Amino acid sequence: MENQETVNEKSYDISFFKPTTELARSNRNLAIGLLLVWMISIFGFHIWLRIIETPTPEKAYTQYEMVWDNIKLGQATVSEKQIYIKSALSVLGKVTLDKESRIFLNTSVNKITEELVPENEKSDFKNKIAAFKLKKFGEDQYQELKKDLGSSAAKYIGVEDYSLEAKLIPLELVAAESYNMDYDNIALVMAKYLIHNQSYLTDFTFLGFPFHYFYTAVFLLVLFVGLCLYYCIAIQKIINRLGIEE
Amino acid sequence: MKKLYILLALLSPTYLFAAASNELEGDFKLGPAIILIVILALFILVGFLFQAKDTNDFFAAGRKISKVGSGMAIASNWMSAASFLGMAALMYGTGYNGLAYVIGWTGGYVLLLILMAGQIRKYGKYTAADFIGDRFYSKSLRITGAIVAILISIAYCVGQFGGIGLLFQWILGIPYGWSVVIGGSVVLTYTLISGMLGVTKNMQIQYVIIIISFIIPLFLLTYKFDYFWLLPQIGYGSVVTDIVNGIPAPEIAGMVNSFGNDFAITPSPEYAMPWDPSSGQSYFQFMAIAFSLMVGTAGLPHVIQRFYVVPKVSDARWSVVWGLFFICILYWSAPVYSALGTILSASPEVGKLSKDAIVVYTAQLGNINPLIVGLLAAGGVSAAFSTVSGLLVAGASAFSHDLYVKVINPDCSPKKQLMMARLATILMAIIVSLLALLKLALIGQLVAVAFSLAGCTIFPLFLLGIWWSGSNKQGAIWGLIVGGSISLIAITYFVSLKIGFSLPYEEFVNYWLGAWYFAWIGAPLAIFTNIIVSKFTEETPIEIKKFLVENVHS
Repeated sequence: MENQETVNEKSYDISFFKPTTELARSNRNLAIGLLLVWMISIFGFHIWLRIIETPTPEKAYTQYEMVWDNIKLGQATVSEKQIYIKSALSVLGKVTLDKESRIFLNTSVNKITEELVPENEKSDFKNKIAAFKLKKFGEDQYQELKKDLGSSAAKYIGVEDYSLEAKLIPLELVAAESYNMDYDNIALVMAKYLIHNQSYLTDFTFLGFPFHYFYTAVFLLVLFVGLCLYYCIAIQKIINRLGIEE
Repeated sequence: MKKLYILLALLSPTYLFAAASNELEGDFKLGPAIILIVILALFILVGFLFQAKDTNDFFAAGRKISKVGSGMAIASNWMSAASFLGMAALMYGTGYNGLAYVIGWTGGYVLLLILMAGQIRKYGKYTAADFIGDRFYSKSLRITGAIVAILISIAYCVGQFGGIGLLFQWILGIPYGWSVVIGGSVVLTYTLISGMLGVTKNMQIQYVIIIISFIIPLFLLTYKFDYFWLLPQIGYGSVVTDIVNGIPAPEIAGMVNSFGNDFAITPSPEYAMPWDPSSGQSYFQFMAIAFSLMVGTAGLPHVIQRFYVVPKVSDARWSVVWGLFFICILYWSAPVYSALGTILSASPEVGKLSKDAIVVYTAQLGNINPLIVGLLAAGGVSAAFSTVSGLLVAGASAFSHDLYVKVINPDCSPKKQLMMARLATILMAIIVSLLALLKLALIGQLVAVAFSLAGCTIFPLFLLGIWWSGSNKQGAIWGLIVGGSISLIAITYFVSLKIGFSLPYEEFVNYWLGAWYFAWIGAPLAIFTNIIVSKFTEETPIEIKKFLVENVHS
């Protein structure tokens, strides 16, 4: 009698891996298949992305590296200084740049630009910075003074007038509060913002996207909807096949 | 005639959009305020028309909602301030790492559908605590389940109130603190009036408003800046590539932001490259966030509760498909704001923007018609409202149904139960408002805390409760203790860091048990503990096993 009860009790055991009803068994098989697709597509892809990535420097970093030693030693030529400023500006133009890193870089841009200005033009250039510093965005003459300062600086740092660098540099010159260069921190900031994890999955473009970005931001969501749709259709077929009324 | 002139003057874009084009905050904005008031009045009207008449209506909308309607309600309930504002903010701040939230908040629905949705509906309970108390035959677990559900609702609501505060601040031009109080009061009044039947009907309307208000500016922005505008969700691929390669100078005249800055940016691969060093986020954090949000999605009481409101089991499953599809429309769109916002705010002249408002700022910086920006902001408020109302109902249900009726006063009348639900709603709204005033983190991150909490506590109980009859009361209790302890440690360290109180191994704990992803370890450990303890303790009663086999799996 006791044995009979135990047998009955066991027949009511239910487990995902050892299903005891036909519905649970079919559901388990379907779920395992779909969950495998789900896991591999999300985690498998990102593990693969991690395995194949290599730290890849931007062009600005490669150029910065070529001139950095001479900048530190104070032996940089004019063109080396110009290269450094362009590299630094390419970091200063980044939206995610934090406040502290900005200070390290704009201080260095301020100092090296100053070094590039011929002695006889120094006072005029400083006056332009001082005049622009007094203006706030939206005030009269703000745009004129900015443009004037940008044009002058563009000449010294070797970029075209109206270029992005020429538009950025006036803002950095007035933001800088000293001429002190913190070489160690500048090196850290440049490496942090100019070296990225890249691979063929990030370099290949698809529908205009870097492929990995398209995969995660667009494709995975399509896949999730597809998996859900497939599950609903498949489970309904199983339910109908088993003649179950829900 | 004079009145007509005054009206026209008031409705002119300059007056409606009181802030100057280069001021992103500005003063009171009449146009957006009118749009917001009209939308809220519509919600209240629908709430009145479909007002809850009894407890069955209040908790489960009388089980009369269709699968598409329920899908829209799931989407609207889900598309909170975190989706509307927070997701673009996270991508704007951390680039590709922000996509962990996108896949986490959508991929979790696959888990939810395959492992739970139909079975939960078949189990046929009102609330998450109802299920836990019944399945694990324990009054104390029912109480704990109800308390956890309330805590999750509160944690989730904090981010929403933050979003409401931010948008009310933008529209009304008042300080953040006041806007949280005003916005919180409005959403509370609305929830109290309507209850869940009204809420469910409203959620369908809210979905339409949210999605329209979110998508219209994208068509305009992509058209204006010469990208493929017919389908901005694909067209922005070129925006991402342009950010990576840089845009040296605009090739078409008039491509400027509202500050007059060129539509240009220096090469910024950090925006799209995975776990970029400049984002301050690692590969581990990306994976942990995605996983935690997924298990959290499958364990959120207010999401699970939505399956109780559909008439049939198959409707519960199909409502997930519809819900996920409707959600994805927004999730495909949010990264567009972040990408365009990155270029439009690239000039240092724009200054540091509040990341959580980047959606609205992007539309403003792109010089979109002020009334459309107003509609966008009102859509953001709707998104927060729809979620908050659902959360407050879920929290109130947990209190009045699971704690008050089932434990404190089983003989109370339905009228008294409804009153207790409303009192609980008020109390929760007050607590949430106070926490939102602290501004502890970004909206998306605050909401992610609720997901990790749900992933460590509710998810293991539902997963094992449905799929393994061997999981018993003792296993559930110990699993909950382990999941709850990990949650407590993670949240304590997070709050300590925010208030400047130092704890031992602070750096280690805050990295490995980050507040928005501690479920990566908490959920597996809670499941493991539940299994081990269940194996070595008294078996689950036969009637529970029988119910599972006969009612849930047959």
